Amino acid sequence: MITLAISGKGGTGKSTISALIIRWLAGMKGGPILAVDADSNVNLNDLLGIPLKETIGAIREEMRAKISNLPGGMTKQQFLEYKIQSSLVETKDFDLIGMGRPEGRGCYCYANNLLQDVLHTLASNYKYVVIDNEAGMEHLSRRTRQAIDYLLMVSDPSPRGIATAGRINRLLAELETRVAKRYLILNRAAHPLSPAVEKAIAAEKLELLAAIPEDQNLLMMDREGVPIWSLPLDSVGFEAVSQMMTKLDLGRERT
Amino acid sequence: MSKIISTKAIRGAHKLVARAEKELQRVLDEKGPQAKVEFPNTGYYLPISYGILGLKVETLGGLQELLDEAKRLLPPLPDERLWVPYLGHTLDAGMASLFADEIIEAIKYTHNPLPYLAETSPRDGHLWLGAAHDVIMRERGIEFVDGTAPGFAACVGYCPTNEMAVKIARELQEKNLYVFMSAATDGKSMAQQLAEEGIEMGWETRLVPFGDDVTATVHALGFSTRVALSFGGAQPGDYQRILRYNKNRIFAFVLALGPVDDEKHAQAAGAINFGFPTIAETDIDNILPTGICTYEHVVSPVPLDKIVAKAVEVRGLKIVVTKVPVPVPFGPAFQGERIRKEEMFVELAGSSGHGFEFLTTRNLDEVEDGKIEVIGPEIDDIEEGSQLPLGVWVEVAGRQMQPDFEPILERRIHDFINMAHGVFHMGQRDINWIRISKEAKDKGFKFRHLGSIIHAKFHGEFGKIFDKVQIKIHTREKEVMELIELTRKVYRERDERIGSLTDEAVDTFYSCTLCQSFAPNHVCVITPERSGLCGAYSWLDGKAAHQISPTGANQPIKKGQVLDSIKGRWQGINEFVTTSSHKTLEAFNAYSMIDNPMTSCGCFECISCILPSTNGIMVVYRNYAGLTPSGMKFSTLAGTVGGGVQTPGFIGHSKLYVGSAKFISAEGGAKRIVWMNRELKEELAPVLKKIGERAGIPDFSEMIADETVATTEEEVLAHISKTNHPALAMPSMF
Repeated sequence: MITLAISGKGGTGKSTISALIIRWLAGMKGGPILAVDADSNVNLNDLLGIPLKETIGAIREEMRAKISNLPGGMTKQQFLEYKIQSSLVETKDFDLIGMGRPEGRGCYCYANNLLQDVLHTLASNYKYVVIDNEAGMEHLSRRTRQAIDYLLMVSDPSPRGIATAGRINRLLAELETRVAKRYLILNRAAHPLSPAVEKAIAAEKLELLAAIPEDQNLLMMDREGVPIWSLPLDSVGFEAVSQMMTKLDLGRERT
Repeated sequence: MSKIISTKAIRGAHKLVARAEKELQRVLDEKGPQAKVEFPNTGYYLPISYGILGLKVETLGGLQELLDEAKRLLPPLPDERLWVPYLGHTLDAGMASLFADEIIEAIKYTHNPLPYLAETSPRDGHLWLGAAHDVIMRERGIEFVDGTAPGFAACVGYCPTNEMAVKIARELQEKNLYVFMSAATDGKSMAQQLAEEGIEMGWETRLVPFGDDVTATVHALGFSTRVALSFGGAQPGDYQRILRYNKNRIFAFVLALGPVDDEKHAQAAGAINFGFPTIAETDIDNILPTGICTYEHVVSPVPLDKIVAKAVEVRGLKIVVTKVPVPVPFGPAFQGERIRKEEMFVELAGSSGHGFEFLTTRNLDEVEDGKIEVIGPEIDDIEEGSQLPLGVWVEVAGRQMQPDFEPILERRIHDFINMAHGVFHMGQRDINWIRISKEAKDKGFKFRHLGSIIHAKFHGEFGKIFDKVQIKIHTREKEVMELIELTRKVYRERDERIGSLTDEAVDTFYSCTLCQSFAPNHVCVITPERSGLCGAYSWLDGKAAHQISPTGANQPIKKGQVLDSIKGRWQGINEFVTTSSHKTLEAFNAYSMIDNPMTSCGCFECISCILPSTNGIMVVYRNYAGLTPSGMKFSTLAGTVGGGVQTPGFIGHSKLYVGSAKFISAEGGAKRIVWMNRELKEELAPVLKKIGERAGIPDFSEMIADETVATTEEEVLAHISKTNHPALAMPSMF
């Protein structure tokens, strides 16, 4: 199993990049893919052109609400497993799971402890796990005990954006989340990069993996609200993501 | 105790002893007392007399000694008019018969040519093998010890047809039992019938023809006596140990096929000494009361097609299915495997269809072990991508089975089915969900294999508590819908039973230290009547979590000695709490909020604290942001209660705990509640109604103040005085 987490502030285009990665992996046919929508604000499912069923957040709330009255004397572990397994949206190329809203007040120790187990077991069924993650790393640090193989931090090509990416980078080091490799991706970046941006990258000690150029097709796709699958394969954005994935040497593994 | 059987057995013993005496006299006259006599190639002499009496018979003179012993044991024939307890006499007659058998069989070995083959299997039309050599005994006897073969069936007489003889032999072989055959009736025996059908016999196939004489039956018991001497560490002459070893370790029984004469009755009586019961086809009456054997001693009449199943049951033989008979890899490694839609051949039940999994107890004669029926389409009858309803109906029977075990067994269906590679299982009861992969289907996996898995794994895991299981797999909407109503009724009854589980009814509580990352010295103790204070964990959850991860945050704690039953204090719990709280706590009382109350992490749903002037307590839920009559907000109260310290007068707890009979029962229980925040009061309305009913105060709920009538302790006191709240009349809390 190879886990990629794509993270970044809202508006940086990380969900679009996540969708492009999923499409590219699906095209490579290297094995089953689990897409995880872990950002409560943006909907990865829309980009992928599929509906979202019940989210993990909703299931967790239901479990907490029903705690004294679970159906049929089920243990909570079993209930949660059942609900999560049936919340998956299944397609030919990949399955999608939505994390939903962050938790409210009250004690979540037990629910999250169970969730970690269930999600970990589920994820181990897939060759690739692609997590579209919200910026705060909430899910990485608390809700999954997933080891991350590649963390791709998406930023716009601005010194401020890069500083944010740098902050996440340092935070992760402190949190001891198991992340094997961390890279920076600049989205909607013009070539060459400005000296200020180059300087910021160096200052934050980030490794730049790819600079993805502005893509008119993607902009139009966004405006029209059509899914990623309608993007022509020779679009510059998709080509850039293809090169990036090839650089990571991904997609060629066979199950 | 049957007088008829006793009489026949004792009469048979007399006949056998007389025959032994006559034959011995003839051979003594011919060869003299010094003539050698032995079973061939054994160090155990004549094994039964050596084992039971410690007697080493090596000569005809030794046989005379054995005969004297047999005669001494021989009881008088029962008086036709006088009724006395016969079991002791029957047992003695049985043992005397076995000695007589050994004398007669030993004399056969003095003949030339030898009456029995020296080989391990029949040859050239010679069928009978006689006493086993020590080499065979060591090689085969170890199988009784390591469980490869649970025991043997000593088959006497013959079957009405050869087909039936073959069928019985096969059934016994399937259960890994040895089939020892002897004692022809009217010149016909089961071994001959098998020979006529061309069945291969011998020690290798576990079908062993001992001899056509009734006395050859003794070689079966001789064999198991040698096993006890050789592997059981029993000393010659230590008859108690030998007999007990046989009863406890060797699952053997006698199958009496066809008519049973006096001499065969005598053999059965001999077998009872070893704890081996007799099951007869013809009506020879019964010896039912338990005493020597594990269950019944003699059971008859039993139809031949049921005789093996009955024998297995009466002997208490546990069936072990070592390999789960499914055409796909099987094991715990395949649990957690998801069958993705693209890989799936069929989906059963789940969110888009109806289904259930149900286990119920039946009588022993209503269950045929291993019977699996598929009612509705099988996997071959349907198209790829189909969705079907699924009802799994499991019936178990067993002498140790109790209805309380039903949910425990039923829940494990989930784990077991998930072990099959290519099969995905979720849920239980009436929310079950199964997917079977195309790959599994291609390998030959059928719906009936769900039953095979249940049969094999249940025997493996729960063999101690049940004996037989049969499974019906329903895949037709009509039957599934009909049965689902039945099952739901039972599920409801079970839930009510679980709901009534009390702290006194169990000897083990569960700890929860999940929250120690926040409150390092806090430990929750979860009892049937007190859930974890976060509200998430019930006692059953703790138990289930411990089973899933034995070294996790939920550990079983033995209650140990009761130190105070009113306050809820136990020796074992205190010791555990002391260790787990890193010695910051020495004791706590589960049912008191005044004297060493249970600590809290910070996760509690509610806080209860005393309002001294009212002689009662207030309960506030964590969502309530306003000021409480204690003069503090929830957040301030939480600071007082949390962090794993004991604060007399303050406890954190779950919402549901308010409804427990053990809620601060040391201080008088829920009747002490004088104030609750409105939201909580509304949510717990049904609970408060029950508390009122229990206490005989129907309008208890109205007596409790909330923030709409009281936000200070004085206002609470005014309200409860007006409503005549029971707390006012209760003893002081301090």
